[in-house]
Amino acid sequence: MVEGLGKHVVTEAYPWAPLEVPEGFRGKPVIDPEKCVGCGSCVNACPPNALTLSDDGRHRVVKLFLGRCIFCGRCEEVCPFNAIKLTKEFELAASSTEDLVQEVRLVMAKCAVCGRPYATLREVRKVAESLPKNLRGLAYVCPDCRERISSYFVGFARR
Amino acid sequence: MRRASGSEALGRVVETLKRLGAESVTVTQEGVVLSTVTKDRLRDFVRALIREYGESLRHSTCVGADLRPVRGSFSVTHVLALDCLRLYLLVETEAFGNSPKVPSLTPLLPAANWAEREARDLLGIEFEGHPEPVKLILPDPWPEGVFPLRKDYPYNKKLYETPAQVRGVRGEPRFFSAKPTPPSESVREGCALIPVGPYHPALHEPEYYELYVEGERIVEARYRGFFVHRGIEKLAESRMTINQVPFLAERICGICGYTHACAYCQAVEAAARIEVPERALYIRSILLEIERIHSHLLWFGVAFHLLGFDTGFMVMWRIREDVMRVAEALTGNRKTYGMNLVGGVRRDIDEGKASLVLRMLESVEGEFRRFCDSVLSMREVVERVKEVGVLTREDARRLGAVGPHARASGLGIDVRVDHPYAAYRFVDVSVAVRDSCDVLARILVRYDEVIESIRLIRELLKNMPKGELMAEYSDLPPLRIGLGATEAPRGEDVHLVITGRGNKLYRWRPRAPSYVNLATVPTMLEGERLANAPIIIASIDPCFSCTDHVVVVDLRTGVRRRMNLLRNALTRG
Repeated sequence: MVEGLGKHVVTEAYPWAPLEVPEGFRGKPVIDPEKCVGCGSCVNACPPNALTLSDDGRHRVVKLFLGRCIFCGRCEEVCPFNAIKLTKEFELAASSTEDLVQEVRLVMAKCAVCGRPYATLREVRKVAESLPKNLRGLAYVCPDCRERISSYFVGFARR
Repeated sequence: MRRASGSEALGRVVETLKRLGAESVTVTQEGVVLSTVTKDRLRDFVRALIREYGESLRHSTCVGADLRPVRGSFSVTHVLALDCLRLYLLVETEAFGNSPKVPSLTPLLPAANWAEREARDLLGIEFEGHPEPVKLILPDPWPEGVFPLRKDYPYNKKLYETPAQVRGVRGEPRFFSAKPTPPSESVREGCALIPVGPYHPALHEPEYYELYVEGERIVEARYRGFFVHRGIEKLAESRMTINQVPFLAERICGICGYTHACAYCQAVEAAARIEVPERALYIRSILLEIERIHSHLLWFGVAFHLLGFDTGFMVMWRIREDVMRVAEALTGNRKTYGMNLVGGVRRDIDEGKASLVLRMLESVEGEFRRFCDSVLSMREVVERVKEVGVLTREDARRLGAVGPHARASGLGIDVRVDHPYAAYRFVDVSVAVRDSCDVLARILVRYDEVIESIRLIRELLKNMPKGELMAEYSDLPPLRIGLGATEAPRGEDVHLVITGRGNKLYRWRPRAPSYVNLATVPTMLEGERLANAPIIIASIDPCFSCTDHVVVVDLRTGVRRRMNLLRNALTRG
């Protein structure tokens, strides 16, 4: 019996001493505002809607509200630019709701044809970089206009 | 071998179902046969099934669905388990109109009671001939004719818009008020009511037992729960996509959540015919066993606490802490592992992590064995739980008990063996069965299961093949039915899924094991001493919520006095 009880002390000194968490711990997610392009992949994947997108015409805001976050790490998994990462941070108590919010504000690109804001400038540039030089211009056009232009060319080619 | 070979048995069962009058019989997935029956023939059909398969037919659950937008009818699907043939029989019947009626199966299979009442509450399906047609899930003052799981009820619609509406016309509370149900005529004379629950500052979860006592003896017991039913099925069906739901499913339980995530993923994978890579299946099984160990150790701790043996509680939870640490290293969190997506798992278990697990198993096994062996040799402990809270084999069968609870009553059922899933088809699981039917048996079954889980993890780690972690798949086919069943630490966990359009679910129905096990508690309590109530309620491993503090109302004098059930258990037990 006494042997079964064990003799060593197991009580942690935490919070008086820091608590080590293992590699791969799923703690507070942080968005790198330099890398985020506002594509919305994370917003689509987020189960509890902790990540949301809102457009006000000039800007797109990616908002992360930790009060809803379940630390599943789906955002990190789906982000095409590794812009959102889960950290080892787990002490999240805050005295006001604003402290639980991270916002990334990105400038919108306006369509070169119709002038409608359709994606963030940063995302558009990334897309343009990935296209062959002769098609790059298409990235600066909104999806509706792009469709019209490409169908014009396709039609032209058929004729 | 007590089991017939798979395909041969399956062919025979399909023949039998056709002969007994099923309109159509289809094998929807491995080990699941769906038969459709008109509602007029439903009862005859099930009666014939019972005659055919007798004892081995177990009513697992029943799922109602509002299929009006797609088929113009409501459907009711009974899930019957034929454990000895490794089969689940789905018996589906349709009902038309806006106030659908189907015959109740409860008179034939008492285990159908709760599930049918749930469909009645949430979908407005009337079960004709149900012996107890009262609300189960929704609160008593819920308005007539409002059925939240029907498709024409928006998920974000509030039942009451203003505080005045919530308060009601006469200021009566609109939601649950613990109005005791009067006892049966036969026990009315001279008995007192002891309500246990539903709220207490120390509760994890609210549940409510009404215990009618004569002196120390419990003469009648009733259970009411579902105070925390939050409509997650509706949420999943309306707002979430298939790969978001695993995280919601995992949050059904704070102790065995991963088993729910697995059962859900299996159901969707079966519906969409997704082949999960073998390595992912192994990882799922390893985590499920880690979860089982932690859950059982937690239960041992609380059971010892309820027996007044707090040292045992502390030691058990200290041992459990190692398991939690390893889970954290493997998955990124102590609980809510978040490892599952439809089609596989998200993280690998590499060599380093595997050796971490093995080291943990080494120390946990030694400590657990040493400590439990010495505890189980203490007469004070054994005498306290021997022949307490008896649930006979017959009652366990009748009420559809599952898991360690059923196995302690001599029923050798275990989903890992009877309906193998994940990697359990590649390993042999030995099922711990005891037949003394009391709390002691439940302790011993769980003891054996911890040891068996440790052995299983070692074997799984050794045999784990290399390969992918996630299957590739395209969009979900709509309106397919899928069943996922796992052996949760508390017993059989069943998820039934009907897929919808746009990578969403049309219907999702999880049924946790405590759902059926809780229904057995009143049977175990009746005839017992009040002081034994806490450990009996705890012995099925539900939440311990209300067991430590209750209010006594003497029915004759109306005097209320407070008492402490736990202290009673200690001083009089």
